[in-house]
Amino acid sequence: MNIKKIAHSKIFTLLILLAIVIATFTILSNGAFLQPRNIRNIFQATVVVSLLTIGAGMLMISGQIDLSLGGIGTMCAMMAAFLMRSGLPWHLSMLAALVLGAICGAFNAVLVNEFNFQSFIATLATASIAQGFMAVISQGRQIDISDRTFNFIGGARFWDDLIPFSLIISLVLLVLYGIMLKNTKFGRSIYLVGGNADASRLAGLRPKRISYLLFMNAGALAALAGMLLAGRMMTSNTVGITNAQFQGLTAAILGGIAFGGGSGGMGGAMIGILILSTFNNGMTMINVPMHWQSVASGLVLLSALTADFLSSRKRTSA
Amino acid sequence: MSIKSLSRKLLLVSNNIAILLVAIVVILVFYSQNPNFLHDDNIRNIMRSMAFVGILTIGMGMLLIGGEVDLSSGAVAGLSGVLVAMLINTGIPWGWAIVITIAFGASLGLISALLVNVLGFMHFIATLGLMSVYQGVILVITRNVFIPVPNEGFRLIGGTSFGNIVPLPFIIMLVLMIAYTLVLSNTGFGRSVYMCGGNRKSARLVGIKPKKISYFLYINNGALGALAGVIITSQMATASPVAGQTGSIDAITAAVLGGVAFKGGSGGMFGCFIGILLINSFSAGLTFVGFPQYWQIVARGSLLVLALCLDYVISGARSRALEHALRSHN
Amino acid sequence: MSKSFPGVKALDNVSFRADGGRVLALMGENGAGKSTLLKILAGDYFADEGEFLLNGILQNFTSPYSAIMAGISVVYQERQMIPALSVMENIFAGALPKNKLGLIDKPRLKKETMALINKFELSIDPSVPVGSLSVAHQQMVEIMKAYRRGSAVIAFDEPTASLAEEEITVLFKLIEALKKEGKIVIYVSHRMPEIFELSDDIVVLKDGALVTTFITSETTVDELITSMVGRDIGDTYENLSRNTEVGETLLEIKNLVTHDVHNIDFSLKRGEIIGFAGLIGAGRTELVRAIFGANEITSGEIIFEGQKIDFKSPFDAIKAGFALCPEDRKEEGLVLYRSITDNVSIPVLSKIRKALILDRKAEAKLASTAVEKYAVKTPGIDKLVVELSGGNQQKVILGRWTNELMNTKLLILDEPTKGIDVGAKAEIYQTICDFAKQGIGVIFISSELTEVIGVADRIYVMRNGRITGCVDRSDATEEGILSLAMADKDETGGDAQ
Repeated sequence: MNIKKIAHSKIFTLLILLAIVIATFTILSNGAFLQPRNIRNIFQATVVVSLLTIGAGMLMISGQIDLSLGGIGTMCAMMAAFLMRSGLPWHLSMLAALVLGAICGAFNAVLVNEFNFQSFIATLATASIAQGFMAVISQGRQIDISDRTFNFIGGARFWDDLIPFSLIISLVLLVLYGIMLKNTKFGRSIYLVGGNADASRLAGLRPKRISYLLFMNAGALAALAGMLLAGRMMTSNTVGITNAQFQGLTAAILGGIAFGGGSGGMGGAMIGILILSTFNNGMTMINVPMHWQSVASGLVLLSALTADFLSSRKRTSA
Repeated sequence: MSIKSLSRKLLLVSNNIAILLVAIVVILVFYSQNPNFLHDDNIRNIMRSMAFVGILTIGMGMLLIGGEVDLSSGAVAGLSGVLVAMLINTGIPWGWAIVITIAFGASLGLISALLVNVLGFMHFIATLGLMSVYQGVILVITRNVFIPVPNEGFRLIGGTSFGNIVPLPFIIMLVLMIAYTLVLSNTGFGRSVYMCGGNRKSARLVGIKPKKISYFLYINNGALGALAGVIITSQMATASPVAGQTGSIDAITAAVLGGVAFKGGSGGMFGCFIGILLINSFSAGLTFVGFPQYWQIVARGSLLVLALCLDYVISGARSRALEHALRSHN
Repeated sequence: MSKSFPGVKALDNVSFRADGGRVLALMGENGAGKSTLLKILAGDYFADEGEFLLNGILQNFTSPYSAIMAGISVVYQERQMIPALSVMENIFAGALPKNKLGLIDKPRLKKETMALINKFELSIDPSVPVGSLSVAHQQMVEIMKAYRRGSAVIAFDEPTASLAEEEITVLFKLIEALKKEGKIVIYVSHRMPEIFELSDDIVVLKDGALVTTFITSETTVDELITSMVGRDIGDTYENLSRNTEVGETLLEIKNLVTHDVHNIDFSLKRGEIIGFAGLIGAGRTELVRAIFGANEITSGEIIFEGQKIDFKSPFDAIKAGFALCPEDRKEEGLVLYRSITDNVSIPVLSKIRKALILDRKAEAKLASTAVEKYAVKTPGIDKLVVELSGGNQQKVILGRWTNELMNTKLLILDEPTKGIDVGAKAEIYQTICDFAKQGIGVIFISSELTEVIGVADRIYVMRNGRITGCVDRSDATEEGILSLAMADKDETGGDAQ
């Protein structure tokens, strides 16, 4: 691969962007930003977003979108907490929550594939139903979790307290899904369906089946994300990962997963996630009030979209 | 032939009738559970709660008819409700405060329109981004606390009731609905909205500029969102940082329940009204008969799925009817 | 009043004139250039050269809207209306009468619409939504819309395709009325009796060139058909190296009925090429899609290699050895923004895996073999398909279905030469014959009569979703096939021969 090609690749641009973000905050925070503990915090913050990005990103590559992941993940974490409080062992509770997440995803897939709803409105509807069930399970209050293993999975840290266990989980998953996307039949099919569903079907792929699998996968990953967070907090609260879903979308777009479908990958998404977490963390470090961060994340999404728009315009005019 | 064409005609208007029947049934069921459901106080409460979502639904309904959607309108309402409170609290006369707020809402609508029409973003994702921005701004300026508005004049907007039953905001909503019905059915502009939503290409062929319509719809939606915000702040005499959170979804649900086709091109304000009536009497009824609080959230979420399924079934039946007409001649 | 269009890509130096108060019929085979001509008229396309005069004034359209403003309306087969709006609103769309308040003047709107309806002696309720009307009535509304705009030229694109007999009568009455008003009526149709009943002049196009013009009263059906066909069959087909050994029956279709086709019976042997001829919309594409599992089947049997089969999806069909090159390459054939490699390997992805991971070397070999075999002109197999020419794109699809990992037994080609230049066409014909030599059964759909006759061993002709005849290549003539493909009698169904 020649240098020119690397310099023009999207990943390269993203890495530069990441470097700029890091440099800016390092200067603004007088170096506090680069303290090991802070770096750990940044990584810690990527966990939930990563899992949501994997699910949402693959759906976007296939040409669909899921706005219900925050709702599903929060509800499933609540379910796991509820089951553990009722005396079910941690592994069965987690399994049940994962299955529940997949069922919610399947519900989305039914609405999209059998009733032809547009995916954004179908998943918004699912999100509000999931939120309702979450309220029913929790009765509007957080559920504390005392199971040690569960809390260990979400909250343990190794290596001088620097490497969170959940980070390892999310990294392993990112890599596995990345390999799957690029190197397996299923992964390839996702791109092909996103590029042209009709042609893929006539060439022997089964777009409907792929859509079901992707929605279910995204639901299950959201459930996992919700549980990892709950485990770290040792409690499952009613907000859960609701706000992280938005970041998942943003990271995916930022990382080059195009909205129309058919392109992008986990490598770019990973850097997208890093940029986003770094950015959010940096804002806290330089004492930007919490509430501004919600404004900023919306603006980042819109800028990511604008960048996508500009680069695709360049591509088509070239 | 006449029976067939009659049934086809019925299909085109029937979702209004069907949903009206559903609304009546819902009301009667709650009434049979507890006759106080139709007591003056409760009726007033239902009407009171209808105004906010109702005004949002007007803007959203117009957008949907024209083939667009704006997920930020609830947040626009929330932000406007906060803005009007702050303006009044700084001493600006409440009349001017309202005017400024509505102009502000319109400019937020313009932002949506620009993102969609100039940058070509998909409407739902652009407006989702904006929603997050506005929601954030609300938190920033309120610091997540309520802002009381101790202004008697302003409170009268939300607090006045005619005959002690019909609240003023409800009247405002009704008047607006009638006005927009007139616009939709009696002006060239109104018909253009249907054309843009129904078939953009043929709209262009008769000289309509779809982008222009789209701009108007978003700006209009922003202004109405601001009005809704003003009204809810006035009703509560306080601005709430969470007032608009579910506004967009509720408005979409009401519009689609009321027969506005999700893909654009058909529907009207009467349907929207019934949609709002249904949603609000349903929620009020659930509370009234003591349906568990948290299950109510589930029930209301399911309503949107139900509305979309209804839309799917009806538009499917409609295209089958057309198909049938086509095929019977082959 | 005259118009002329010399030299457009799909139209070569075509000049003719149409007079007010007369009906001009535009005739020709599929691809003769009729629709291009209509689209230039409507302002959808621009002529590269030549001019178009209306009432002696040179017209220069920049958009469909400007064509309409200049007084030209085209009534297309698919309706351009808003189903939820009423009849009167659709007719007056863009020019709704207003009252002093700026509101739509509904009474006046209704009155003016009623005046139009009465003028054309129709019975339509002006205030019902257009979506609730029958197809015929929708078309009437479209015509009234054109008339209301004061169009001087009203063109019809196959207006009777979906109408019943009595509705056609009403339509013709309407066209007569337009004619009396001095309008220019341009009428495109494949139905001979209509042409002779309705038109005053006939313009015949062929391959984008003007063949001849007739005064309708001075010509006959036979003369007309001959003029539409008349072309020498070149050596291209003489030189094809054909398969001479036809094997046992491969595919048998018995009384197949779907949403779009009716009572289809035919059979195909190994190593045989059967052609499907017919006009656009005759149901050929729908038929092969149904066989391929892509469209739903209502009733009937498909027997493949002696077994009755029932495909749920193309996936099943491909597993059984079917392959389809769809008509619309870009929409249905290819994933345009992926590489040649990716497009070739789609159906065999599961065969080039090693422990679930795709074997990229095997995949690349597959693609380069295909590129070599069909001489695809490309700098490399990583090139995006969107950057290839039409002929090369078609070769990529052929490469997909005939690579060594596929076990294609039945190849369906739907208009494989559409939009492809002459040289590439000849290559594709030979490729088709080579498939037959390998014992593959080929179904070859084409709207170009010469190529179906030149390539296929047997030709089935379809019309309105039915097979109306089958001829062997030795007996096939373009005239014969054309008269089977067009309704030359007053019937809308079809009697199989």
